[in-house]
Amino acid sequence: MNGGLNLHPFMKTALKRILLGGLVALGLAAMASANPAIEGRWSLDTAASTALDGWHKIDLDIALDGSKVSVGYTMQWRTTIHEATNVFDTEALVETKDFFRVEQRHMAVYPAKNGVTKALAKWIDGGKTLLTEALTPVEVSQGDTVMRITSEYRVSELGDKLTIIELHSSRNLPLVYVFNKVTEEATK
Amino acid sequence: MNLIKRIIALTALAALLVASAAQAQDKGKNYGADAWYMHFDLDWRVDGGLPTKALIVSLQGLANRAAPQFYVVHPPEYQWEITGPLFDFYKRKHGVNFTLLQTTDEVLAKFKSAAKGYVVWDKSVGASLNVAFTIAGLEDVVVVSEELIPLVEKHGLKQFDDLRGRYAGMTDAQIYQDAYDKYWDRCIKDRIMLMGGHAGAVRMPGMADWGVNQRMFFHDLSANPNRPDHAAELALNRRLLSEIEPGGYVFGWHSYGKDTEEQYTTLLSMYGLRMEGLHNLPNLSFNHQFEFTPGFKFTNNHSVPLDAKLTAEEKVYISFVQSDSIGIGVWTKPGRGKLPFGWQVTMNWTEFSPAALEYFHESATPNDYFIGGLSGPGYMYPNHIPAERFPILMERARKLMDLLDEHIMEIMDNSAADGNVGNTDLTKETVDAYYREFPNVIGFLNGYGPARTRDLRDSRPMISYDYYIDPRRPRSEVAADLNELIALNANRPYFLLVHVRESNDVNSLVEVTKQLEGPVEIVPVDKFLKLAASNKTYTTRYQDPEDPKHFEGFPKE
Repeated sequence: MNGGLNLHPFMKTALKRILLGGLVALGLAAMASANPAIEGRWSLDTAASTALDGWHKIDLDIALDGSKVSVGYTMQWRTTIHEATNVFDTEALVETKDFFRVEQRHMAVYPAKNGVTKALAKWIDGGKTLLTEALTPVEVSQGDTVMRITSEYRVSELGDKLTIIELHSSRNLPLVYVFNKVTEEATK
Repeated sequence: MNLIKRIIALTALAALLVASAAQAQDKGKNYGADAWYMHFDLDWRVDGGLPTKALIVSLQGLANRAAPQFYVVHPPEYQWEITGPLFDFYKRKHGVNFTLLQTTDEVLAKFKSAAKGYVVWDKSVGASLNVAFTIAGLEDVVVVSEELIPLVEKHGLKQFDDLRGRYAGMTDAQIYQDAYDKYWDRCIKDRIMLMGGHAGAVRMPGMADWGVNQRMFFHDLSANPNRPDHAAELALNRRLLSEIEPGGYVFGWHSYGKDTEEQYTTLLSMYGLRMEGLHNLPNLSFNHQFEFTPGFKFTNNHSVPLDAKLTAEEKVYISFVQSDSIGIGVWTKPGRGKLPFGWQVTMNWTEFSPAALEYFHESATPNDYFIGGLSGPGYMYPNHIPAERFPILMERARKLMDLLDEHIMEIMDNSAADGNVGNTDLTKETVDAYYREFPNVIGFLNGYGPARTRDLRDSRPMISYDYYIDPRRPRSEVAADLNELIALNANRPYFLLVHVRESNDVNSLVEVTKQLEGPVEIVPVDKFLKLAASNKTYTTRYQDPEDPKHFEGFPKE
């Protein structure tokens, strides 16, 4: 068994398609404006969401800075707190060594050592929805492979709910995470 | 004439008694014993049912010193769910004649002669109960809280000691240091009772009968190095562990209020000791006095011979294993037998609860297969066992596996894990040691949560769990998780080892298996390992020093 990147043929095709399509997407994305309602702190509504596995709680901090979208995660498992941030750019392909994925932690799927994640983002649906696509190398028992994670960030009309629909190239059942906006009043 | 009749009658009686004794001997030690039993409820509140239960289990330990006389039946919802089935087993296979005792008063009336008096513990000082249990074992007295004094005195028991007020304002470290100074010298040295577990308003010292019976030192000292206020407790803890005889036992369980399972098991493993728990494991003072029934021999449901050579096809092979000891697992849950299941056996029960092991083997279906564990002859973390102690412990494990007809060793080292997630891997040195010590096994399993230690040497694979089934996880998500693993591990054959957490319902797993996609075959774990030996589509991997660790361990002394 080699320890290199073990790409499924489907993944190879997907990788090419996404990278080629990325340039077109970036051009289109530049025309779409960001949805400022996505900014702020969001707290996971566990009852309304797909069951977490190996985490009890998620808080998100989302910030916009020009074409950059920063998604900060504060994850909790028992008393353990883990913090991570993914930065996307709606005008450029982003490559990152420490991309964070909300893992199902009872699965033997780990971030690949020294793996570089390639990520794209764009605003769609008239700028209402953020679409991200990440090709992230993961380590499984047969070696390293790539998981494509496509996510839509949809903000409700009132701006009080954020629904993230996450689709894996390897999983037929989407993961749906519903967040409530954390208002300043609530944090007082 | 009368004299002749009398001689004949006496001779006949003597012959009958001898024959009866011989028959009992044929049927095993303690066959046909008279014993008494009591039902417990689930109320273990300090301000509720605990004091009475503490009194009863302390008396149980004393009453069972000379012979197995007193057994406690717990509700099926109790963590050790087989006290009822085992009770029936003793009646059926060991001919035990049980008589019900309904009240504490009746228990005292029956067994008060086993006690020389009582010691009073202080309900406002939690550690005083453990000190009282230590005194109970050494001085043959029962433990009572103050409201129970009139009851035991009614039965003629006199006060031996009174801990009320003695430890007021003292820390646990100071209390146990005082107990160490006064009692440790006289306690048994190859075992100790870690009476932790539930802490605070509910405590559950269901295993105290065994500690009292064996004159053990009771404590719930902390093994938490991250709490500066626990430093004195940790130091005393280490001193005690260092003074236990090599290969000795730590019975019981860590305190839920002070430290973690990972911290405590790491600590005791550093001294080459083995954990035998939990704190609420009941009736060992009774159970250990029985042997396997005459003629009983463990015969495992091997699906392949030890020397078989199989060839894997282009398939996904899945195998399910349940650890956590079968007694607290899914053994009594609906559906057992519908899927091939590997069951990790607490091998030391050959010594402490032979009837329990025999009961499991007797009630096994053809789909139930037993494996050795955890990590050795008891629960321990092998990455931390001193190198010089490892071969001695594993020699014991090999003998027990031979006795139990087991061909697979299950290993678990959660020292760097965060509960059932995180780093559960073995160092290469540890893997080398297992391959050296177990030349005749089919292979090894590793992990609790998922892990990524894998190897194949000659025909013996070491495979880690690729998935852990949380009993609370919706079954649709469990199926989706397994299907995702099948998709990500795209080469065939793929060997998917699944750990089934205690309290999962087998019927629900049957439904999960119906939702799996691909050329899936569910196989017994011995066949699984044989197939995994034939085509190594998995990587060789050990614990990487750069992998994140939740707990770094303890400094060596």
